[in-house]
Formats: sequence, C-alpha cells, structure tokens
Amino acid sequence: MWYALFAAGAGVLNGLRPSLSGINAYVMSGKKQAIRGWTRTQTRLGRKAAGPVVVFGILSSLVGVAQAWCIAVVLGHSLISLHSSTVPAALPLWPIGAFLVLAIVRTCFLAGVDIGAANAGIEARKRLRAEVLSSVLTGGPALLRQEHSGVLATTVVDRVEALDGFFGRWIPASITWIAAPVLVLIPVCFVQPRAGLVLGLCGLAVPVGQALFGIGAAVASRNQFLAMTRLQARFLDRVKGIATIVLAGRTEDETHRLAEAADELRLRTMKVLRVAFLSSASIDAAMVVALIVVAIMDSHAALSLQEQNSAPLLEHILTSSLFVLLVIPEFFSPLRALALAYQDRAHAQGAATAVIDLPVAEEHRTVSEQDLFPDRSISITLDQVCFTWDPARGQALDHISIKVPAGETVILTGTSGSGKSTLMELLLKFISPDSGQILLNDIPLETIPADALSHIFSWIGQKPILFAGTLRDNILFAHPDADEEALMAAVKAAAVDQFLPSLSEGLDTRIGEGGFGLSGGQAQRIAIARAYLKNAPVLLLDEPTAHLDPETEKSVFESLQRLALNKTVILATHSAATHMFNGHRIGLQDGKIVQKQGSA
Amino acid sequence: MPEIDQISPASTNQSGPSRITDRQAIFRILRLWQRQAPRLAIGLMLALLALCAGLLLMQVSGLRLAGVVLGEIIITTALLRWVGIGRVLLRYSERLFAHDAMFRALADLRVWFFHSLAQGAASGLGFRRAGDMLSRLVSDIGTLDGLYLRILVPFMCATLTLPILLVQLCSQNLMLGCLTGLLFACSAFLFPYLIARSGRQEAEQLTRSLSALRISVLDLVGGLREVRAFGAEPQMLARVEADDAALLGGQKQLARRAALANATAYLCGQIAILFVLLAISGVGFSKVAPLSGVGILFLTVAAFESAGALTRAGVQAGAMGAAARRVVEIAQGTPAVSTTGQEVDAPTDTHIGITGVKFRWASDRPYVFDGLNLDIPAGARVAILGPSGVGKSSLAALLLKAATPESGSITLGGIDISHIRATSLRRQIAWLSQATHLFDDTIRSNLLLGKPDATEDDLWRALEDAAIAGVVRNLPEGLDTWLGEGGVNLSGGQGRRIALARTLLTDAPIMILDEPTTGLDAQTEQDFLRTLNTVTAGRTIILIAHRLTGVEKLDQVWRLSHGQAAAVPLS
Repeated sequence: MWYALFAAGAGVLNGLRPSLSGINAYVMSGKKQAIRGWTRTQTRLGRKAAGPVVVFGILSSLVGVAQAWCIAVVLGHSLISLHSSTVPAALPLWPIGAFLVLAIVRTCFLAGVDIGAANAGIEARKRLRAEVLSSVLTGGPALLRQEHSGVLATTVVDRVEALDGFFGRWIPASITWIAAPVLVLIPVCFVQPRAGLVLGLCGLAVPVGQALFGIGAAVASRNQFLAMTRLQARFLDRVKGIATIVLAGRTEDETHRLAEAADELRLRTMKVLRVAFLSSASIDAAMVVALIVVAIMDSHAALSLQEQNSAPLLEHILTSSLFVLLVIPEFFSPLRALALAYQDRAHAQGAATAVIDLPVAEEHRTVSEQDLFPDRSISITLDQVCFTWDPARGQALDHISIKVPAGETVILTGTSGSGKSTLMELLLKFISPDSGQILLNDIPLETIPADALSHIFSWIGQKPILFAGTLRDNILFAHPDADEEALMAAVKAAAVDQFLPSLSEGLDTRIGEGGFGLSGGQAQRIAIARAYLKNAPVLLLDEPTAHLDPETEKSVFESLQRLALNKTVILATHSAATHMFNGHRIGLQDGKIVQKQGSA
Repeated sequence: MPEIDQISPASTNQSGPSRITDRQAIFRILRLWQRQAPRLAIGLMLALLALCAGLLLMQVSGLRLAGVVLGEIIITTALLRWVGIGRVLLRYSERLFAHDAMFRALADLRVWFFHSLAQGAASGLGFRRAGDMLSRLVSDIGTLDGLYLRILVPFMCATLTLPILLVQLCSQNLMLGCLTGLLFACSAFLFPYLIARSGRQEAEQLTRSLSALRISVLDLVGGLREVRAFGAEPQMLARVEADDAALLGGQKQLARRAALANATAYLCGQIAILFVLLAISGVGFSKVAPLSGVGILFLTVAAFESAGALTRAGVQAGAMGAAARRVVEIAQGTPAVSTTGQEVDAPTDTHIGITGVKFRWASDRPYVFDGLNLDIPAGARVAILGPSGVGKSSLAALLLKAATPESGSITLGGIDISHIRATSLRRQIAWLSQATHLFDDTIRSNLLLGKPDATEDDLWRALEDAAIAGVVRNLPEGLDTWLGEGGVNLSGGQGRRIALARTLLTDAPIMILDEPTTGLDAQTEQDFLRTLNTVTAGRTIILIAHRLTGVEKLDQVWRLSHGQAAAVPLS
C-alpha cells in the first residue's frame, strides 16, 4: 500500500532504538534482541490494521489545512475593511460554505480514525491473548513454581490490555508523525515560506526532545508495570488467605503493607507521567514558540505593508498569516499524538519481556492414546531418574528405578518431602527429569503428547483445586461428556452420596472458590469422584485420603480398590489403611529408595 | 483511617442491603477522598489557571496580527511571551499536580477497599471470587481516576469557560453569544450527560466482562495442574475465549460510542466557528467589528477544544459509576458486625462455656449444631472427635466469631462472646484450620504472622515443636526461603507443619488445632503429639481430630454427632 512509504518515518525512529535500549544493561543482549525481535514482529503484524487509521488521520489533517484557509480568507477580508483607504468589497460566501462542507467531511474522517484505532487494538489483543494463553498452557504446571498465578494472570489480562495503545495509537502515530506535518508544511511554504521555515525548525526540535524523554519513558513504564504486577500478586495472595489474616488479628499490618505497595505504584506511575508530561510540554513549548514567532514576524511585515498603503498586498499577508496561525495546532497535533503514544511503545517492550519468558506454544500433535496404547494396559518404568528442584537443596529424586507392571499396584511410602509428589509430577509431565528415562510400555514419556497423556492418567493430588460452581460442574470437569449414569456411579464410588443429603440442592449445590461450603474431607471426595469419572488406565493417587476420618477413608479405599482393578496404580500415602491394597511397597527417603517389598 | 470506616448506619440502611445507586457510590468515594482534598483542590486551581492562559494565548496571538491593520501593536511582544510561557508551565504543573493528587487518593481507596474486605472476611471470601476482588481493586479503582481528572476538572474548566465565552461574545452580538453559548453548553454538559446515561448498561457490562475474564484466566492459571492432568485445555480455553470475546465486543461498542461522541463534540465546535464566521461576514447576524471578530474566533476555537474533553468523559462516565458501585458494594456487603452496645475486651479467664447452641451455615442447610453444650475449663486439654463434615470447623468458626449462632450462648470467662470485641477475642484464640493459608513470602514472614515480635529463638522453637526445624535448617536459605504460592516450594506435609509452627508461636491462651497431624507419618505424628503435651502447658488446647492415637494427654474427649456433643469416657 502507498502508506508503506511513510514507514520510512517509523524507520527514522527505529534508528533511535539501539541507543534507547542501551541503558537496559541488566538485560542480557540475547534477551534484548528477543525483545526487539518481538516488538518488530508485532509492528509488522499491526501495520495492516493501522492502514485506515493512517489514511484517515492524514486526510483529516489535510482537510484541517483547507478549513484554516477558509477561515483565514474570511478574517482577512473583513479585517482589510478596517484599512482606511479600501472600499469594502462584497465578502465572498464560498469560504463559509466550503468550511461547513469540510467540517462535515472531517467529522467523518475523525470518526474513521477513532473506529479504525479501536479495531486495530481489538484485533491485535485478541490474537495476542490467544498466543499468550497457549504459551501458558504449553508451559503448564511448571510455571506455577516460577511465578505466582497472579503474575501469570496479569500477563494474560493486563499486559495484553495495555497493548491496545501500541496497535491503536503508536503504530499509526509512528507513520503519521512525519507524513502529516510534512503534508501540512507544503501549503504553508507555498503561502508563506518564512513561516514554513519557522514551523519546520520548531517541528524538527520535537523528535530530538522525544528521543531524550523516550529513554526515560521506557524504563519508567517497565518499572510501573512491575509495581502493578507486584501489587496484584500480593493482593491476590492476601485475599485468598484473608481469613488467616483476619483471624490472626493481622489486618492492620497487612493493610499497611498493601498501602506501601499501592504507594509504590503511585510513585512509579508518576515517574511515567512526569516523563510523558515533560515530552508533551516540550511539544507545547515548540508550538508556542512557533505561534509567537509567526505572530511577531508577520505583524512586523504587515506593519511595513500597512505604511505602504497597499491594500491587496496587505490582505494577502493578513490572510496568509492568519492561515499559518490557525494551521500551527494542525501541524503539531500528529507530533503530540506521537508523544502520547510513546508510553504505548514502552508497554509493548514490557509485554515483550513477559511474553518471551513464556515457553513457545507447542503445535498440537494428533497422536491419540488409542494409537499408542491400543489395549489400555500400561506398564510404567522409571530408569535411573534424577530430578532437582533447586540445586542448593540437593536432589529431590536420586537415581530412582521402579518398574510397575501393567495392572499392578505400587505403594509409595515415606515422610512428607521424601519425593513422592515429585515422582507423580514427573509422570504427569508437569516437570521433566534431569536425567534418566521414564517409559510407558516401551514408549518414552517425552514423546507422548500432553493431551494423549491426559487420557492415560487419572490423578488425585494433595490439594485438589475446586472451581467456583456447582458440584456437578466440578465432577464433570474430568469428563464433560459423561452421562448421568456414569456421573452417579462416580458419586457413589467416591462416597460423595454420603454427604449429598445435607446439601440443599444436592449435586447442583454451588460451592465457592477453593471448595468453600465443603469440609476438607468432602472436597477430597469430589476430587476422587473426578478420578472415577475419568476412568483412565493408570491411577496416580497422591495421599487421596488425607483429611478423611477412618470410616470414610475405609469406604473410599474400598471403592478405590474396585477402581484399581486391572489398572496400573501408584499410590502415595501415610495411611495405615493401605494394607487393604495388595501391591509392591517402595519406601522413599530424601529422594532415594530405602526399602522395597515385593518385586517392584 | 479509622474514621472513614464507620459507615453511617443511615446511608447503609435506607438504600436496602442489595443495591446502591451510582450517585450514592460516587459520593461515598468522594467522601473517602477527603484526606486528599487540599491537593485535589490545588490541582483544580492550577487547571483553571492553565485554561485561562490557554484561552488568552490563542486570542492574543490572533489579535496581535489583526491589530496591525490599524497600524498599531495592540498586543505587546512581552505580553505574548509571558502568556506563552505561562501556558506551557501551568499546563505541565497542573497535570503533574492533579495526577499526583489523584493517585494518592486512589492508593488510599485501595487500602480502604482491602480493609473493608477484611472486615467481613473472617470466614474467608465465601462465594466471592478472588479474581473479581482483584478486578475491583485494580481495574475498577483505576477507572475512578477519571472521576476527578476527566470529569470534575474538565467540568469546572467548562463552567469557567462558559461565562467567559458568553460575556465576550454577547458584548459583540447578543444572538451570536447566546447561540454559541448554547452550543457550548450542549457540547460540554448536555451531550456528555446523555451519552453517560444511555451507555450506563453497556458500561456496567464491560466492567463485569473484564472481571469475568480475570476470573476465568485465574481459574485456568491457578488450576494448571488439574487442567493438564484432566486434559481440560480445550474447555478452559473456550471459556476464556468466550469471556475475551465478550470483553472485546463490549469495547468495540464503546469505541463506536466514543467515536460518535467525539464527532458530535467536534461538529459542535465547528458550527460555533461557522456562526462566528457568519457574524464576521454579517450574514444572518448583525455584523461584528472585524477586530473583535478575530478575537472571538480564536477564543471559540480554544473554548470548544476543552468542551470536547467532557464529551469524551461522558463515554467513560457510565463505567466510572459502575466501578464506584462495585468498589463501594464490598464495604456495604460486609455484614454489619453486631455492635450490640459496648463491646469489651476479652477477659483473662479462658473458661469456655457453650450452652444450647443452634447453628447452620445457611437457612437452606440442615443444622450443624442443634442444642450443643460444651464446657471447657481454662487450661483444659480436650479433644473433639467426629467424622469429616460433622461440624468441627464450624465450632471453631463460632468460637472465633467468624460465624454467629442462631440461638444459645457462647461465653468466654463468663462473658458472652457477642459482647467481646472480635479483634480482642481472636487474640485469645489461635486456630490452625485445615484451610490455613501459606503466603507467597518467606518462611520467616509467614511465621511472624503468628507473632510479629517473635525472636529468632522463638521461631526456631516453634519449628522444633512442629517437627519441621530439621527441614528448614537444611534449606540453603533457612528461614528466608521463599515459600511460593500456597507453599509450593515445600511438600504438602511440610507446608502444613509451617502453618502449625505459626499457630504454636502465638501467645494465645486458647489453641484450636484442627487435624494438626495431617500429612505426618505415624511416627512423626506420635512425636508431635507428645511434644504438644509438654509445650502447651497452661494453655487450653482443643484438639479436633478424626481419631486419637493414644499418646495424647487429655482431660476430656467429646464426640460430635447429630449436632450435639457427647462425652467419651477416658480410657
């Protein structure tokens, strides 16, 4: 498209970029390049949608110039009537008519700019949010070890929201800021070359100012977003544990800490704004200088003509000077738009840092678990598996070798922290072993795609997440297409039916986040019902009966026994009731196998 | 800010518990900003001065030029220069000052919000969503900056501009003045008002959409383990995408409205300029003197620019009303803590008496307790047994005033706890619940929550007692190890013991331990219970459990069933 020519304008600005990002010394150059690459890709993707905004924006500037001319003609003509020697000529009406028509045209153009910018922002955010989400899903549970869920959510929601301006304002502004003023300058030079020179010089000062302030803007904006993210994560964490805070009588302390976080956000925000305001003040200053210089210069010129008593010449200089005065705001408004959009570009860089930290979204492989495991009988082999969460804390699993034949049960015992849950997470591919290999039948775990794997394992974790909603929704989460019969079977097997009568609406009772409205044991049974409903060939049970009283525990174990029939089971537990399970026992301690019973 | 927290009973009651109007909510917010009132006022004054300078600048530069026709300089170069400098400086300082004042007020508001939320949250968030609370704290309160910056300040500016415009124009031509004034009033007051009113519903929808998006994203992110294990990616993704589509759709509509509002405001300004031009040409209006014509033309151009800001604000006003309500709702929504006359501090005597207590969580749920009687003397060590879901946690909630019984009485040291100040009561009772939260912070900070002035020795002793000191000592960063979200950097059982240590650390004379040994293997469990026998001497211990191991030294054991407690003979 023709406006691609103006991309040259953006190129000039891009030229400033190396020096701008030079201050981010703490960012390694590799990362810096990744950020730059990401921003560049986004700019390229955003240009197409920015097209209408640029076209309408430039057209609207041109119409503005024409309008200024109409006004100047009317004013000039009426002023000249004051000039003593002239006979007032009939005032032409065409400028007034043209002004009206142009005003209507310009209104349409302006609306076009607004709507185009909004659309560009919306389309881009839709695309980006989908991208970020699939990256988060690819990263999976391992991400939760690195970041608070609040921080991840901020990336998906707020970071992407903040990019609206990048696509709606910055990208168009990076083209129009040079194109529009140049187009405005042409008629000005034509009418009054001197004023054109003044305007051009004042205009040239603007990018210099912008480059100076822009350096600060990028850093300030990044810090501001960091403060924002911190405040959000802190608040989310505190709100989730608000009962703990209130009951410990620590409300005032926590309020005080939140106040500090909120105040830091204010300071950071003000830093961003100070730079932004300075940069727009610099444009204001350039504009005021232009205005005053033109007014003074032209009034001197006009005065000398006035003495010469030459009416037509005087009218011309009056008209052209008024035109220039009226056109000055028009000349500066694209520059002002660029200054306003400067922090949008900083937002994009901030978003880039957050986004490139996320793993690259995987492509969906279409290997189903039926192709991999046609008879649904699966043996699990761990061969010399090592895993370390944190090098300073030593290995969580140290050369673990276990073989679980298809259809058999292995019971993992050991104190809390001995590596049982780590082993489960390895099998679920939440994390990958540092060395060694895990095989399902003879297929290496890492070659099995995540969605196929989810059909193989049923998992009951230590802290099952219950979502706000009905009990039914929470159980059906495991298998949304399950029929009522299957659902009821799962409910019965998990002993959920034992407490349903005490709930007013049975399975349709609503619970709050984290299982509010249920006791710990009841929540656990909902999680067990999920595992039943899913009915996968391998069961991974991580202390499934924690929080249960001995009687309920017994009934749950009984039904787990039924579920475990012909399935491969790994059960981690402290419970004395595990004697109910026949299986190989493996004792873990500090990530090592210390005891083996049976032939595991 | 204790004085802010007292909601006048009149304002909360008359509007009913469910809904307050936008206007009430906004006034409530404005009242909360009183502390920043002087700053906000100065910001406003600067804005008005900057406006005057701006109007003056356009007018004088036009007049300077026009004046030469008469062969004289009406406007001196110095005046022009001063007005110009004044304009730039005033505008910069106005924006800086007004924004700073505003953000101070927002920070106050956020703190107030959290505080109000905590008031009613002794039993947790309940059915409220953490994501929704976050959205209110971040986005809704963020939107409220517009109340001052986009509505109040421009409104005052417009109120100042209108008479200036009227006086200057009417002195030249009455009809022109009236017509332009009318246009200005439409553009600055009427249209914004109409736009705000008509967009109210959509704006509210939009704030809800953003909140819904946050909730579904948090569900997805927080539940990543479940999502991955159950292969629920498509369904979770579909939900987020639906919420995203709703949000973006709403924004698209809003953008259309904004474009319309902008266009209207612009057109009003252009028509006003047209009128001035006609008057200068003497068409339709009686002719205006050319020189003053130039002056009023430039004045009109500048004046309508400021009116446009208000039209744009009209588009966002609906959102601000909705946001204000969502924020204030939280304070209103907290159940009025029963302020039955004078509340007293908790007595030093820690004898607990429960007589004839009836309790249920909601009116459509069965009774958890139906005539519960318990007597726990000071310093006693008792166990309360029962299967899960029988109401052991409810008992703790009642004792801590996180819930109120329907009938019957609970006394501490002979005083009904409804007369005891909640904060003071809770200082007497430490509760390790099953849902005790570990914060995304260091082990040290998590422990200090139990006792802020604890010494290093205190911390280690509590960790020893909770049978976790060895693990913490082996961590490379010891007490300063970051626990991660929900204690993710430790195993489940270890995290649980950190929470236990936190409870043991408190000075509270009464301790309610709900299943303190969950996650411990049999040997460690016995060790812990033996420790408990010695470390808590002199304190009242209420041990809530499914079963006893036999090593506990107890004065009394009760079994809960059918809403009542029956004493179990000690073997």
